[in-house]
Amino acid sequence: MKWLIISLSLFSLLITSACGILGTLPKADPRTMTFPELRFQIPKAERVVLECGMPVYLLRDTELPIINMTAMVRAGSVYEPGAKSGLATMTGSVMRSGGAGGLAPEKMDDELEFMASSVESSIGSDMGTVSLTTLAKNFSRTLQIFSDVLLRPDFSDKRIEIARKQLIEGVRRQNDDPKEIAGREIGKSIYAGHPLGNVLTYASINGINRQEMLEFHRRFYRLDNMILAVSGDFDRGALLKELNAIFAPAAARSPLLLPEVPQPERLYKGEIFYGKKDVNQSVIRMGHLGLSKDSPDIYAVRILDYILGGSFTSRLTTEIRSNQGLAYSVSSHFDIGRRFTGSFIAETETKAESTSRAITLMKEIINGISKEPVTDQELSAAREYLINSFMFGFTTPASIVTQRARLEYYDYPDGYLELYRDRIAKVTKTDVLNAARKYLHPEAFKLVVIGDAAKFDKPLSSFGKVRELDLKFTIPTP
Amino acid sequence: MKRIWLLVVSLCLFTTTLHAAGLEDKVVEHTMKNGMKLLMVERHTSPTVSAWIRFKVGSVDEKSDERGIAHLLEHMLFKGTTTLGTKDYDAEKPILDKIEETGQALIAERGKGNKGDKSKIELLSKQLAKLETDASKYVIKDEFFELYSKNGGVGYNAFTSRDGTTYLISLPSNKLELWAAIESDRLQNAVLREFYTERSVVMEERRRSYDADPESKLWETFVASSFLAHPYGQPTIGWMSDIENLTRSKAEQFFHNYYAPNNSIVAVVGDIDTKATIAMLERYFGGIKPGKALPPVTAVEPKQAGERRIELVAEAEPALMIGYHKPAIMADDDYVFDVISMILGSGRTSRFHKKLVIEKQIATEVGAFDAPGSRFPNLFVITANPRSPHSIREVEDAIQAELDLLKSEPVAERDLQRIQNKIEYEEARRMGTNGGLARNLTQYEAVAGSWRYMTEYRSRVKKITPGDIQRVARQYFSNENRTVGFITKKGGGK
Repeated sequence: MKWLIISLSLFSLLITSACGILGTLPKADPRTMTFPELRFQIPKAERVVLECGMPVYLLRDTELPIINMTAMVRAGSVYEPGAKSGLATMTGSVMRSGGAGGLAPEKMDDELEFMASSVESSIGSDMGTVSLTTLAKNFSRTLQIFSDVLLRPDFSDKRIEIARKQLIEGVRRQNDDPKEIAGREIGKSIYAGHPLGNVLTYASINGINRQEMLEFHRRFYRLDNMILAVSGDFDRGALLKELNAIFAPAAARSPLLLPEVPQPERLYKGEIFYGKKDVNQSVIRMGHLGLSKDSPDIYAVRILDYILGGSFTSRLTTEIRSNQGLAYSVSSHFDIGRRFTGSFIAETETKAESTSRAITLMKEIINGISKEPVTDQELSAAREYLINSFMFGFTTPASIVTQRARLEYYDYPDGYLELYRDRIAKVTKTDVLNAARKYLHPEAFKLVVIGDAAKFDKPLSSFGKVRELDLKFTIPTP
Repeated sequence: MKRIWLLVVSLCLFTTTLHAAGLEDKVVEHTMKNGMKLLMVERHTSPTVSAWIRFKVGSVDEKSDERGIAHLLEHMLFKGTTTLGTKDYDAEKPILDKIEETGQALIAERGKGNKGDKSKIELLSKQLAKLETDASKYVIKDEFFELYSKNGGVGYNAFTSRDGTTYLISLPSNKLELWAAIESDRLQNAVLREFYTERSVVMEERRRSYDADPESKLWETFVASSFLAHPYGQPTIGWMSDIENLTRSKAEQFFHNYYAPNNSIVAVVGDIDTKATIAMLERYFGGIKPGKALPPVTAVEPKQAGERRIELVAEAEPALMIGYHKPAIMADDDYVFDVISMILGSGRTSRFHKKLVIEKQIATEVGAFDAPGSRFPNLFVITANPRSPHSIREVEDAIQAELDLLKSEPVAERDLQRIQNKIEYEEARRMGTNGGLARNLTQYEAVAGSWRYMTEYRSRVKKITPGDIQRVARQYFSNENRTVGFITKKGGGK
């Protein structure tokens, strides 16, 4: 290693002497300037398998005296019964807040915060995560608590009740912000009938008991059902020894059978929802199902996304914001599903008096991209952005290892990252047009509008039959 | 144009085995002759670089007829220059001048209120729309964004606060010169085209961020009610009627007054060679003339002499904010307030969380922080969401009990040690991303006078004793010194 440092200092001598010449160079024109080549190699993380069979991605980096670690667990709210909406969320949250391995909740909080360490746990729609961050000197103790939270949570009754009350208060407040209402309602309508469309309710949260949480945890949080990602300032040998000790092979359990969760049904049927709020600006959301990562069209869709509504120079932003001044924020996005079919959602907020105009414009612009090919300039701008900004997916050791672990978790094909830029480069205008025609159906959009209809420029009914949302529901006061 | 230095730094990628040095050893400073301050840190974790430029001007520097201009100007500075964003500036300019003339005439006529000539207003509005269409023929839409974007730039953005205005981007590290070329052009040759359309965009931003979101609306009202004389009270985005009366001429004047190299701080963090970066940035920015000395903010908030209670009736569940006046950053007591905010409001072991959320279960969230800026005396703010059926008053009383406890009981040494440990961790963590470090460097250089505020912070805090905390709590946490804001649910049970 030493010779490298010496040779670097020689280089910097050269640089210093070159500076004088550089100082006289002319200023470049941003439109035509060229740049020195930059070689970027996708950083790799090492994959190791622990004695218990658990895969671990490792990336050592000593820039900061910090270690980060994440466990990804095959669990999720898609596995909870519809009537128990909130079971996964509560389980994930109380795993951390409810004590673990015999360590009482307040003792755990105190010990972790005194070390400035953090252990957090949550369960999303199709993944459970427990994460750790700590100064390297406090790693061993933090790791012990991390593993207790992951594998031996105590689910204190008191903490379960607090989590339940917090969730209920969240439901009580869920109609305070019009943007939040619209976001929830568009998701609900796109995934109606599928677990991804379930939302928390007062009744579902109240119906969850400790036993169900224990069982939910026991069912999914097992050593053969998770992947670890570790990065930072560790010694590889010592780390693996610690991990093998703390995640020692467990007694054999019957193989985990994850229940088959069906894909959402592809029913393209337009619907309009309106929610009344006494505000001067309408929140508009429209969309339908999209595609998943298993589709070969994802590269064309990334380009389409950028051109249509995914950048500051997109068609939606250029027309609705920049040309017409109708909105501060307007965008559209294909959320490419990993396990399930994803969604396409276009969104904006505009003053009540231009509600109908904005909806009409958005639909026209989205329709337009299916009519004729995008321009050469649009295609090359999108391609260049996606290819040249690719390296920003790899700026911290933690993001590099968790990305690798996530690719394995979601069964991405080998070489996905390595081939990504080539595949983007090969997308043609025809590919984009075909993708637009295949994945965009404005006539079948679910449309959600939250605002004050009395002030709209045209009634919403001019777009079709309107169903009004009940935003005035009440929760029994305890 | 080929330069070796950018290739050289890529060699460093995997050679950093020496242990992390502190920030003190990593920051390279350089001040140009025109006063522009450069702060640089080499980090070779990835071949990327973050470049932030902060101007020491925010909404606190606005005069009463300029409210909202710092923020609107920030939007306008994305519209290009005499050479970028336009197909032909010479042809475009006369139309832009006409637009400004018409826009001002329209504002003047509308300003007459009921006495305004309606037909004249209509005519002027039509003329303005027509002129804007004429001018649009020359516009190359968002060319800055387009240039950065195709070169792989991410996070191109800006933000305006009470204290300052910052423009930021991250780029592949071989493209830093593009940033220098664009930003130095913007600083010298900005053209505020598409002004009146962008003003409409800002009105939509106001509706979205404040008018239609009850909690933000309470926040705006609460801060405005806390300051009678000092401009910290006025919202950065401006009130709606302020925005409606802003003109391009005002924005240009503000730009020329405040956007000078001697009023700016640049942070470049990432895969760079600092010497070569200084040389390159000197080439682009070094020749820009310094501006005039800036007028100070002279307003002083009179001492508050009684509690102010602010109610917002809204279609939303109750929320609570309490603010106590306190000194600006760098004052001895400001450090004490930082400690108090960590004891009361930071993490699961904080007193508010333990008492109000876990033990009494009367609130779901309680926070404590400083706002709305740091350059001038500001507020120590406590926010809480009561948990139904518990009332605002119950939560307020429980908060009061915690503040009283700070006055009567000395804080335990272990609590102070926990804070030291937390700061030690934060010192390491904040060096973990280019953008985060660039943000901190520009922020503290601007509001505290030096980025070294960060490196000296832990030892400053270490000197704080339990007695200091009691004294500060007794001195500031009085009813006379506070403003209380809360949301009452519309039609809610009364």
